[in-house]
Amino acid sequence: MKIVVLVKQVPDSGADRNLRSDDNTVDRASASNVINEMDEYAIEEALRLQEAHGGEVVILTVGPDRATESIRKALSMGPDSAVHVVDDALHGSCAVATSKVLAAAIAQQGADLVICGAESTDGRVQVLPHMIAERLGIAALTGARKLTVDGTSLTIERQTDEGYEVVTASTPALVSVWDTINDPRYPSFKGIMAAKKKPLQTLSLGDLGIAAGEVGFDGATSTVVEHSKRPPRQAGNKIDAGDDGGSKLVEYLASEKFV
Amino acid sequence: MRFALTEDQVALRDAVTAPLAAGDWDALAGIGVFAAMTDLGLDETDLVPVLEEVGHAAVAAPVTATAFVAAPLLLALGDDRAAAGTLRVAVAGPGGLTPFGGHADLVLHLDGGTARAGGARVKASTVDISLDAVASTAGEVLTDDPALVGAAAARAALGHAAELVGLGRRMLELTVGYVKQRHQFGAPVGSFQAVKHQLADAYLGLEFARPAVLAAAWALREGAGAREAVDGAVVLAADAAHAASRAAIQCHGAIGYTVEYELHRYAKRAWALAALATPGDRLDALATTIGLPKEL
Repeated sequence: MKIVVLVKQVPDSGADRNLRSDDNTVDRASASNVINEMDEYAIEEALRLQEAHGGEVVILTVGPDRATESIRKALSMGPDSAVHVVDDALHGSCAVATSKVLAAAIAQQGADLVICGAESTDGRVQVLPHMIAERLGIAALTGARKLTVDGTSLTIERQTDEGYEVVTASTPALVSVWDTINDPRYPSFKGIMAAKKKPLQTLSLGDLGIAAGEVGFDGATSTVVEHSKRPPRQAGNKIDAGDDGGSKLVEYLASEKFV
Repeated sequence: MRFALTEDQVALRDAVTAPLAAGDWDALAGIGVFAAMTDLGLDETDLVPVLEEVGHAAVAAPVTATAFVAAPLLLALGDDRAAAGTLRVAVAGPGGLTPFGGHADLVLHLDGGTARAGGARVKASTVDISLDAVASTAGEVLTDDPALVGAAAARAALGHAAELVGLGRRMLELTVGYVKQRHQFGAPVGSFQAVKHQLADAYLGLEFARPAVLAAAWALREGAGAREAVDGAVVLAADAAHAASRAAIQCHGAIGYTVEYELHRYAKRAWALAALATPGDRLDALATTIGLPKEL
């Protein structure tokens, strides 16, 4: 089985994140960039499948040059090789355009199974897995908290607010995962040393047969036209613990209908 | 000589921070920390940045002694358990005082060209209770190959130096964070010279110690001038960690003295490790090297 894992480099969600003032895209240059957290679970799931059933695990990333750091980090966990789609024309791409690029690269790889995180911590739109599956005409098993593979048959437990749904499909298919599915391994020293020797193929839009105008700002179906910083939090009401402090507190609670 | 870390060295260093923060020995074994110098062909220069992180995390287990000192020594004697992480090894310091001796499977004594296994252990008291120290007596001889034992002893000293730099960095980070947050006279206390100059000095001390530690790692690997390099690294790292601890406690104000706040863990660890690394004796040895008379 050939498994393609989608990995996105995102600004560290634990640090300050900003949009660029010039074009309203995510500011990646000044951020500390890491592998999208959910993607680490996708990689782990692929590696576990490979350990159980054999086959090949390929990392696929669309992103700027510096995404190579995240690709190497992903490879240090154990996958066999990676494909990096990098092209200046991709800057400003919307989810629809990104799904076109990813779908083309997956089709070129000929994957039996695509595994990805359910969302990225920067975009958080959660639509990419469905769009890619739609473009490829394969089943989309999304939001998995458990994945079982038996030959060509796949079963997931799809996490919902109320519980879970059991969904089945046959390969080729796409599975998106939540962080409840496993505990990702730490990259090992051996894996780190091996990562730089693993094949890393770089593709341009031309290699995928996609015109520059179909992606980026020109091909975007949605663009961010304006953004502003979240307003600072308002100071709360302070009630002095004086003689009438108790009654003022009750007045406030009553006005908010807490009592 | 180039001291900037390679991409691999940075990746190896970054790989240990999460398992160290979790204090997860099995995870460290799983990623191959203990086998780094035996199975993976990594050397002292690759391990030193990792050991700085061990110090930074003030982890309560003999990670450095097992990975950096014992694993290569014991493997040379045909025992691969330290490298596999299944044997926790502590290394005895002066007078048999052994950090982490309380829960180590083996205590190593490295004296005068002979490596011995520890015999009887008695609980010992140090400033840092998390060190779980014991006083150990030297037992059966494991090897008297002076080259093997000398290299292991040098790695033990260098391991302390690397950890001290990490501890100093941890205390400085904690303090810089605190003095930016704590306001007095309507300004963050870190904006006042009396505070910021102390911390800038502490930073300088650590930045000067780190290259000396890396240089000693290089000298150990190359087998050239290693004794002087290790002695110098220990002295600089111990001084820098001491200075960082003093500045950190002072700049924290009263909270720096409390056991409820974490600073004391790093300060006490630094004092205990600095004492074990015998910087005074090493400074004496360096003085002798440059021809100074023993007693003035």
